Amino acid sequence: MIADMAGRLFSEQVTPQTRSRAAQGEWQAALWRLIEESGLPLALVSEEAGGFGVATDEALSIVRIAGAHGVPVPLAETMMANWLAAQAGLPVSAKPQAVVDGTGLALSKAGKGWTVSGVLNAVPWGRNADRIVLILPHGGATFIVAVPTAGVTFKTAENLAGEPRDSAEIKLDLGADQVAETALPTEALAQMGALMRSLSMAGALETVLEMCVSYANERVQFGRPIGKFQAIQQYLATMADEVAAARAAADMGADAFDGTPSPLLVAAAKLRTGEASQTVASLAHQVHGAIGFTQEYALHHFTKRVWSWRDEFGTERDWGRSLGKAALADDSGTFWNFVTGPSGKGAAA
Amino acid sequence: MTMIDFPAPSIGSDFAALRQDVRDFLAQEMAEHTPLMRARSWNGFDRDFSRKIGKKGWVGMTLPKAYGGHERSPLERYVVMEEMLAAGAPVAAHWIADRQSGPLILAKGTEAQKRDILPRIAAGTCSFCIGMSEPDSGSDLAATRTTATPENGGFTVNGTKLWTTYGHKADYMILFCRTGKSEDRHGGMSQFLVDLKTTKGITIRPIIDMAGEHHFNEVIFEDVHLDGDALIGTMGGGWDQVMSELAFERSGPERFLSSFALIEQLIAVVRRNPTEQQEIEIGRLAAHLMVLRRMSRSVAGLLDRGENPLLQATIVKDLGAIYEQDVPRLARSLLSQPAEPGSADSYSAVLAQTVLTVPSFSLRGGTREILRGIIARGLGLR
Repeated sequence: MIADMAGRLFSEQVTPQTRSRAAQGEWQAALWRLIEESGLPLALVSEEAGGFGVATDEALSIVRIAGAHGVPVPLAETMMANWLAAQAGLPVSAKPQAVVDGTGLALSKAGKGWTVSGVLNAVPWGRNADRIVLILPHGGATFIVAVPTAGVTFKTAENLAGEPRDSAEIKLDLGADQVAETALPTEALAQMGALMRSLSMAGALETVLEMCVSYANERVQFGRPIGKFQAIQQYLATMADEVAAARAAADMGADAFDGTPSPLLVAAAKLRTGEASQTVASLAHQVHGAIGFTQEYALHHFTKRVWSWRDEFGTERDWGRSLGKAALADDSGTFWNFVTGPSGKGAAA
Repeated sequence: MTMIDFPAPSIGSDFAALRQDVRDFLAQEMAEHTPLMRARSWNGFDRDFSRKIGKKGWVGMTLPKAYGGHERSPLERYVVMEEMLAAGAPVAAHWIADRQSGPLILAKGTEAQKRDILPRIAAGTCSFCIGMSEPDSGSDLAATRTTATPENGGFTVNGTKLWTTYGHKADYMILFCRTGKSEDRHGGMSQFLVDLKTTKGITIRPIIDMAGEHHFNEVIFEDVHLDGDALIGTMGGGWDQVMSELAFERSGPERFLSSFALIEQLIAVVRRNPTEQQEIEIGRLAAHLMVLRRMSRSVAGLLDRGENPLLQATIVKDLGAIYEQDVPRLARSLLSQPAEPGSADSYSAVLAQTVLTVPSFSLRGGTREILRGIIARGLGLR
């Protein structure tokens, strides 16, 4: 099982020091090399397109497990970049990659090849990526474009967790094998990103809860572990509720993935995991007290990640609105019909 | 610490044809039901309705055919339950029997009890109430004082049960009481099948709730004689039996659909010309409901496989109560229309009804604090 292998690899290789050094901007080359050798970057690619034919639910679970370990390299992004490249028949690769919506870039035909130019913001792990895979509309169609980073100028920036979110200035000539049309709508990228972030958040939140339970059992005040106090128990139970809901939401989105993401279930998943992140992270800091607020203690690596990830690929508001519009426009009759899906199938996943 | 696992609901568990049957039946049967009647949700008690449902084969669905049941899966039963709740069908006359008393009797009852009771439950003609809470034993169920003393080949029961929902209408009570002394706080408890219609010495007094409704009762036992065969399961095994009943009691769709009538009224109003905020919040209601449904159906699958998912059920109930309790607040944040009891405007009438009902959602079936204590223990807090 590739997911079990991934879990073992992360347990052994991702330490608090790895995460701290990565948060200071140091590229974790050794970790990435192991990930590359493991084949994980190709987990979402079909055998025909150059992958290993991993079942999609297992492939997606890798993203959750990576979230649980706070893996400080662009594994989710690279899996997603390869998925996107494969959608248009572009080559896949085990090298680190970025993936981003390229709407706004200028794409034009130049002889047998193409030129692409413009500025992209918040490119995840741009400076460390071998290529950036983009989706963008062009001439009434949608294109996938693989931009090698060799000719790209980056201005570095980070999200709350210190993960690279660079801006990229692009002006490049591309070959015919780096640009291809796709049947996917441009929104598919945001939907896929929302699914990935939902899974990452669900994983990170499980770790946050584990840290809180351990801490509550160990930390002694007033002569007993603080986990003996009802106030703390109620917090932890609330966190367990939310973590379970986040996991169910992310799994719901993952189960509905059939090669492409399900727009409605991904909307629900991203909204619910984002909301859970708010509650769980704030209670986790409350349970931990001052130590959890320090650079030295590991909690912040996870809480900062969920605070970043909930904003990326659509916020709770964005996905709430998208789902609400669909619910209100649904002409199947009632809200209940909408929630249970056509003949009880859609949302029932 | 092990994570609390909610496995994916079984594939192919949507049972589209069954769902459509239920919808068609309810559309016809409930054509005259006003939104306010629907807002009573699973508090609506209607024996005729339950009997009709029984005829359709939708009560006691999972019971063996030998006992009048239909041998359908818990997931098929789930489809029927959630469709009934979403429509606001008056299910109270068979709900408790179908949800927990039937499964308890099937699992722990004697052959005679099964033959006597289960076919009537499946027919929708047999109504149950639960005798757990007492004046001095609410959340603290182990403080139960009602006693059943072995005497003359039977038992003599003395004590008072409280908050007995539909005790004044039910045919039977599953009585939880003390049958012996025990060092163990949870020992010495047993469960009995009590025929409320024929047993002498039982006084049932109404308690009117703050919404003006009568469903609660006080049930007083004074030297009540029960035959020896009224015992369900093992003497002294009552605590464990009750604990396995709770997974059925706490995980169903009734734990998050109690305010569904108000959601539908709210949507009917905002649908005409929704603002951005209204769209966002309706989306949020949908997202939470989808996730709760998945979790609740996951528990149905665990029950199907014979596991005791008490912890998962507790989480569903805690999250579900937060959801259904929040609906009036949310509605008020989106619309300025006031709550008005008996209003001709169905939104205002349903809002009024729901505001007056929601405080009970985090009390009945286990208070929020008790649920969270169970979850905390499940997390491994030492």
